[in-house]
Amino acid sequence: MNVDRFLPLTPVVLEIALALAAGERHGYEIMQDVERRTDGRIVLHPGTLYRALGRLLDQGLIEELDERPASEDDERRRYYRLTALGNAVARAEVERLADQVSAARRLFRGGRA
Amino acid sequence: MSALRAYRLLLLAYPAEFRERFGAGMQQAFRDRYRAARAQSAAVAALFLLRTLLDIAANAAALRFSRKERTPMNWQSLGADIRYAGRMFARNPVFTSLAVAALALGIGANAAIFTIVNGVLLKPLPYGQPRGLVMVWSSNAIEHRDHDVVAPLDFLDYRKADAFADMQATSSFIVGASMRTAAGTEQIVATAVTPGMFEMLGRRPAIGRNFTPQEVQTAVIVSNRFWRSRLGGDANVLGRVLTIQDQPRTIIGVMPDDFVFPYKSMLGPSGFTRSSDVEAWLPLAFVNANSRATGVATLTRNARFLSVVGRLKPGVSVAQGNGEIAGIAHQLAASYPDSNRVVGANVIPLHEQAVGGVRPALVLLLAGVGFVLLMACVNLANLLLARSSVRQREMAIRSALGAERRRLIAQTLVETVMLACMGGAVAILVVSWSMSALLRLAPADMPRIGEVHADVTVLAFTFALSVITGMAIGIVPALAASRPELQSSLKSSGRGSTSGRGQRRLRGVLVVAEVGLAVVLMLGAGLLLRSFLSVLAVDPGFRPDNLLTLQIALPNSYQTADQRRALYASLFSRLDALPGVASSGGTTRLPLGSTNVTTKIGIEGRDIPPGAWPEVEFRRAIHNYFEAMGIPILRGRGFNATDGPTAPPVVVINQTMARQLFANEDPVGRRLRMGTSSPRSTIVGVIGDVRHSALDAAPSPELYIPGLQGPPTNPFIVIRTTADPAALAATVRAEVQAVDKTIAAYDIRTMAQVRSESVAQRRFVLILVAAFGVLALVMAAVGVYGVMALVVSERTAEMGIRLALGAQPGAVLRLVVRQGVALAATGVAIGVAASIAMTPLLSTQLYGVGALDPPTMAAVPALLLAVAAIACWLPAHRAMKIDPVNALRV
Repeated sequence: MNVDRFLPLTPVVLEIALALAAGERHGYEIMQDVERRTDGRIVLHPGTLYRALGRLLDQGLIEELDERPASEDDERRRYYRLTALGNAVARAEVERLADQVSAARRLFRGGRA
Repeated sequence: MSALRAYRLLLLAYPAEFRERFGAGMQQAFRDRYRAARAQSAAVAALFLLRTLLDIAANAAALRFSRKERTPMNWQSLGADIRYAGRMFARNPVFTSLAVAALALGIGANAAIFTIVNGVLLKPLPYGQPRGLVMVWSSNAIEHRDHDVVAPLDFLDYRKADAFADMQATSSFIVGASMRTAAGTEQIVATAVTPGMFEMLGRRPAIGRNFTPQEVQTAVIVSNRFWRSRLGGDANVLGRVLTIQDQPRTIIGVMPDDFVFPYKSMLGPSGFTRSSDVEAWLPLAFVNANSRATGVATLTRNARFLSVVGRLKPGVSVAQGNGEIAGIAHQLAASYPDSNRVVGANVIPLHEQAVGGVRPALVLLLAGVGFVLLMACVNLANLLLARSSVRQREMAIRSALGAERRRLIAQTLVETVMLACMGGAVAILVVSWSMSALLRLAPADMPRIGEVHADVTVLAFTFALSVITGMAIGIVPALAASRPELQSSLKSSGRGSTSGRGQRRLRGVLVVAEVGLAVVLMLGAGLLLRSFLSVLAVDPGFRPDNLLTLQIALPNSYQTADQRRALYASLFSRLDALPGVASSGGTTRLPLGSTNVTTKIGIEGRDIPPGAWPEVEFRRAIHNYFEAMGIPILRGRGFNATDGPTAPPVVVINQTMARQLFANEDPVGRRLRMGTSSPRSTIVGVIGDVRHSALDAAPSPELYIPGLQGPPTNPFIVIRTTADPAALAATVRAEVQAVDKTIAAYDIRTMAQVRSESVAQRRFVLILVAAFGVLALVMAAVGVYGVMALVVSERTAEMGIRLALGAQPGAVLRLVVRQGVALAATGVAIGVAASIAMTPLLSTQLYGVGALDPPTMAAVPALLLAVAAIACWLPAHRAMKIDPVNALRV
C-alpha cells in the first residue's frame, strides 16, 4: 500500500505513533509518554489527543483493542495500537525526517567550510 | 471531583457523535492529568484547567467547522445574527453603552487581578525547566522549624543524594555591601552563590559568561538593572572593576533582564535586610579556616547560613527526593549528635517556596473579584430579562414565521456574547492603563510583583472570560425569550401587561442572588477592616513615633572590634549632639523591618547536651538603643558604658524568654553560654517584648548583647527626635559621611514608615476587597431598584385601582416595600450562610477577630437591608404620586 499519501505527519500525530510503537496504550498513557519523551515540550491535552486519534482511526493507521491487556485495571479503558499500515507510515515518516535532517546537515557543513 | 463534572459539561461543546465515541476516554484522561497536576501544585492545576478550556474550544471548533457535513450551525446565519445584533446595539446606544461599561468594569477588574495572579502564582519561575527545581531545607525538631537554612558541611553531604542531578547553595542572608566609586561610597546588594548555581537554574548571562567551577574569588556577575542604572548600560562592561567591601572585583557577566535570584522566601528568616533584588553575585568558596570575608564560607555543621536549591533528576518526584534527603539527615544526626541531633531535612518545590506564602491572599482577591463579575452578570441578566419581555412580540413573530427555537436562542446568545466581548475589549484597555496604579498599591515585598505584566495568557483569559460571561448573561433571557407563549404575546398588543409568573419568579431569584453576593463581599470587607484595625492597635513594644532609622555598611577597613568601637563612640556622640535629637542607638535587627538570627544557649546549672540547647533570637544593642526605641526595662538594668570589652560579658533578655526559660525563677544574675566554646555571660536585665517579625506575630524569646562587647559591621541606627523625624534625615546622613565618607548610609526611613510597610500586604488586600464590597453594594442597590421599578411600573394599573377603591397610600407603599425587602432578606440569609461556608478562604487573613465576628455579622446585613428598603421605597413612593385616573388610563 502506498504510505506516501499519509506523509508528512504532523508532530502531534508522529508523537502518538511513536508512543504506540512500543505497544498498546490507553489515552492517558499516550499523553504521559509523549510528555516524558519530549521533556514537556509537547503536552497533549485530551481534546487534541482524541481528535488526532479519531483521524488516525478513520485513516486505518491505528486500531482499537476491545480487551484489556492487564487485568488489574479497575475500569474499562480503550487501548489503541498501530496497525501494520500505521507502523509503515510512521517508519516512512521517520525516514523522511532523517533524509531531511541529513540533507540539511550537509548544507550547513558545506556552508561553514 | 467537581472539576470532572465541569469537564463533562464542557464536552457538550463537541459534536455528539465524537462525544459518544471518545467522551469516556477523554474524561479518564482529563481526570488522570488533573490529578497529576494537582499533586504538583495548585498553580500548575489552575494553569492546566485554563489550557484545558482552550483545548476544548479549539478542538471542538475544529471538529464542528472543519467539514461541511459536520456543521450543524452555518456561518451565514451567524453572520446575520451578528449584523442584526449590531443594528440592535446602534438603535439602543444608552443601553448598549451602560451594559458595555458594566461588563468592562467586571471583566476588567478580573483581568487585572488575574494579571497579578498569573505573574506571581502561575507563570513558571524565570529559570530553565523550572519543574525539576526544589528547595532543600534543614529542619529542627525541638524548635518546630521546618525550613531552617543549611550548614555548609550538611550541604556537602546532601549533595551526594542520588535523586538530584545537581545541588547548589547561596548565602542565606543578604546585607548591604559598600561599593567605592569615584563619587563616594554607595550601597550595593550583593550575595554569594556556589559557582554552578546559574547553570543549574538553566540561565546564563546576557553578556559575558557564567562562573566556572573553580572561579577566581575576584569575579562578579551583575544584574541587568544594576548594569543599566549604575553602569550606564555599557556594552563593553566586561573586565570593568567594582570595589565591593574594599575588594576589587572584575565583572565577568551581566544577567538577563528577567532573571531574579534568590527570591526573599528562599532565604529563611535571616533573609534580606530589606526586600530588594540582588545586584551582584559573587562566587561562594568553602574554606576550612574561620573567615568573615564576603564570598567565603567556613566549613562547619554548627552555623547554618546556606539556602540550598537542587535540581531533581528527570523522572524523580519531589517525594522521592525528600525521602532520600531525610534519610541522609537521619544518618548525619547519628554520626554527629553534637551538632545534628535534632536536625532533619526536607525538600519542597522551588515555585511553592517562592510564592506559596502569598497564595491565600491572591486566591481571596480572585474570589472577591469573581463575585463582582457575577453581580454584574446578574444585573445585566435582569436588565435583559426586562427587555426580553418587551421583545417578546418580536420573538413571537419570528417564531410564527418559522424560526427554530435553536436559532432564537443562538441570536440572543450572539447578542450577549458580543456585548461581553465589547466589554472585554474595553476591559483590556482599562487594565493596561490601570495596571501601574494597581502595582503601586501592591506591597513592594510581594514576591515576583516586579514580574507582573499583561501578556498573552492574560489576553486569552480575558477573552475566555468574556465569552463565558456573555453565555452566562444570555442563557436565562435566551431560554425565557425562546419560549414565547405565542398566542398571548401576539394577542396582548398595546396594553402593557404584567409579565408571566415564571419571569417574576426568575427576577426574584436574581434579586436574591445579587443581595446574597453583596453580603458575602461586604462581610469579607468588614472582617478584613476589623482585622486591619486590630493589627494596627497592637502595641509593638516600643514607641514608633518620632523615630528615624537608617542602616550603615562599614567597609573592610573596620576589621577589628576596636576600630568599630571607636567609630560608634564618635558617631553616636555626634548624633546625640545634634539639635532635635533626644537619644540614639543601634541594633542588628530592626523590629518590623528586617530579619532574624538565632543562637543556641546553654543555661548554667541545667544539664542539657549542647545538641538539644534551646534556641533564642539574637540581637545587639549599641549605645542607648533601649532608651531611643522606648523599650521598657522591666527588671534589673539595661546596658551602659561600663559593659565594655574587658568587663564581664553581660546579656539582657526579653520578657518572653524570661517566662519560657525561667518560669519560676528570677533570671537576673543567672549565667548562660552562647555556643560551647564561648564564655559565660550574666543576665543583667529583662526588657519588654517587642514585635519583631510582624505586628501580628507573637514575640519570640530574645537575647541582646551590648554593642561594646560585640560591635557589628552592618547595624541599623535609630534616632529619637523631638520633632518630625523625616526632617532630620539629610542632617543625619551628612553626619555619618562626616565621620567617614567610606561608610554607606542607606534606607533612611521613619519608624512610622517601617510600621506602615510591615502591614502593606494586609492594606492591599483590604483596599481591594473593600472596593469590591462597595461596588457590590452599589450594584445590589441598582439591581434591587431596577427590579422594583419594573414591578411597580407593571403594577401601576393595579395600584391605581387599589387607590381608586380607597386603599390608603401608606398601605400600598408597604405592600411594595415588603415584597422587595422580603426578597432582600432571603438574599441576606443566603449570603450569611455562604460566607460562613467560605470562612476557610478568609481565615488566614484575619487577626484579632473571629470569622463570625458579631459586630460585622450584625452591621452588614442591617446595611444591606436598609439599602434594599430604600431601593424599594423610591419607585413605590413615586407610584403613590400617580393620579389614579391616569394610572387606569394607561
